[in-house]
Amino acid sequence: MNTMELRLTVNGEVKQWTIAPGDILLDVLRRENYFGVKRGCETGECGACTVLINGKPINSCLMFAAQAEGAQITTIEGVGRGDRLDPVQEAFLDGGAVQCGFCTGGMILAAEALLARTPHPTETDVREALAGHLCRCTGYQKPVEAVLAARSAAKPRRRRARAEVTP
Amino acid sequence: MFEGVEAFYRPATAREALHLLHRGKGRARIVSGCTDLVLQPDRNIRFLIDITHAGLSYIRRRNGWWQIGATTTMADIEDSAELQGVAGGLLPRAAATCGAIEIRNMATVGGNMANGSPAADLATPLLALDAEASVESRTSGRIVRRKMPLGKYLGEARSRGMRNSLLVGISFHNPPAGARCGWSFQKLGRTAIDISLVNAAAGLGLDVRGRVRWARLALGAVAPAPLRMAAIEAATVGRTFGRSLIDEVCEVVRAAVQPIDDQRASADYRRHIAGVLTKRALEECAEPVGCCL
Repeated sequence: MNTMELRLTVNGEVKQWTIAPGDILLDVLRRENYFGVKRGCETGECGACTVLINGKPINSCLMFAAQAEGAQITTIEGVGRGDRLDPVQEAFLDGGAVQCGFCTGGMILAAEALLARTPHPTETDVREALAGHLCRCTGYQKPVEAVLAARSAAKPRRRRARAEVTP
Repeated sequence: MFEGVEAFYRPATAREALHLLHRGKGRARIVSGCTDLVLQPDRNIRFLIDITHAGLSYIRRRNGWWQIGATTTMADIEDSAELQGVAGGLLPRAAATCGAIEIRNMATVGGNMANGSPAADLATPLLALDAEASVESRTSGRIVRRKMPLGKYLGEARSRGMRNSLLVGISFHNPPAGARCGWSFQKLGRTAIDISLVNAAAGLGLDVRGRVRWARLALGAVAPAPLRMAAIEAATVGRTFGRSLIDEVCEVVRAAVQPIDDQRASADYRRHIAGVLTKRALEECAEPVGCCL
């Protein structure tokens, strides 16, 4: 079988992997021990395999690994730093938004991409951003609340600035 | 899945992609957004040709024509401030329904057309905009570019007749605009972003007396390929726009469509919905016109 070299950056680390030209990105990431990238439906329906490519969420089950040449990939392993969780992860834990956890990594990555682009999303924005993520435990209310909570946690200083101009 | 693939190419130009496609002798596939291709695994595929670095991602206006490159993603179209201002934002509105954001970040307008699905979300708005497909192919060693009506391209893509050609872009003339013009995209799916059970796109221009100056109507997922309703469009010109004309158009649409039964909906239901969406589309078109229905 023919092979090729793939060079990319995963969670800030430069990687070079030998892949088959027809390999799917999801399979390669899991083969390289990024088990936070979950194998769910493998048809782009469930969002469990979501990773960020150059900051944008995509379904890694629908992409050839070779397409990621030169890309910056973020998996859930790259969010937060060791035991120090980032605000979205904290909000998911605080809000009880995690049950079995299978869909959680994908949801958090989708939320990170949303907040990077829209620091003050509405509830509708959040629901739209999470629309590609299926949770089979109970549902979506807690994750939506968690992302909304992370939004306010991330930018707590705005009100003070406004108070200063009030006579 | 794709165990038979021997090489993955990333050509820097469309020309190079076409030479590779030719060398593949029917066993090469064009890779763009992949959201459909990966779901059609084929052990016979030997070569994958990724055109996303071939300079085909653009939205631009040239001499009164809008040009959209084949590898422009749904998210690019959705976010395009320029396209928001064209035909009431018809294309961004349709692109925003093409799956979740994870899909829209990958899926491309070229793939949406070349895949040949009757339910392609951008097909009906582009047909309503009278779009043309720019197709390149290799004929006796030379690369030839031709433009063809999008409807013709979609029919051929459906029957796999375009496998040796490359869709490089879509273009359409700057659409009619003004106070008495309106546009609409309508879609019914299981959710707002699911595959269309039926979709429809329409455009309407009225004169000062409320008579139809021009009309555009296209329906998706109700026939083997997306349908432009050219005969109905022509028949409405000069008629006074109102309830009775809408009812008449819907009746003709229901008679013209040839939907299928599948796991998502019955043919009868699709036929009924084709009428409902046509009505909603024409009503929405009339709103900015200030037409009282």
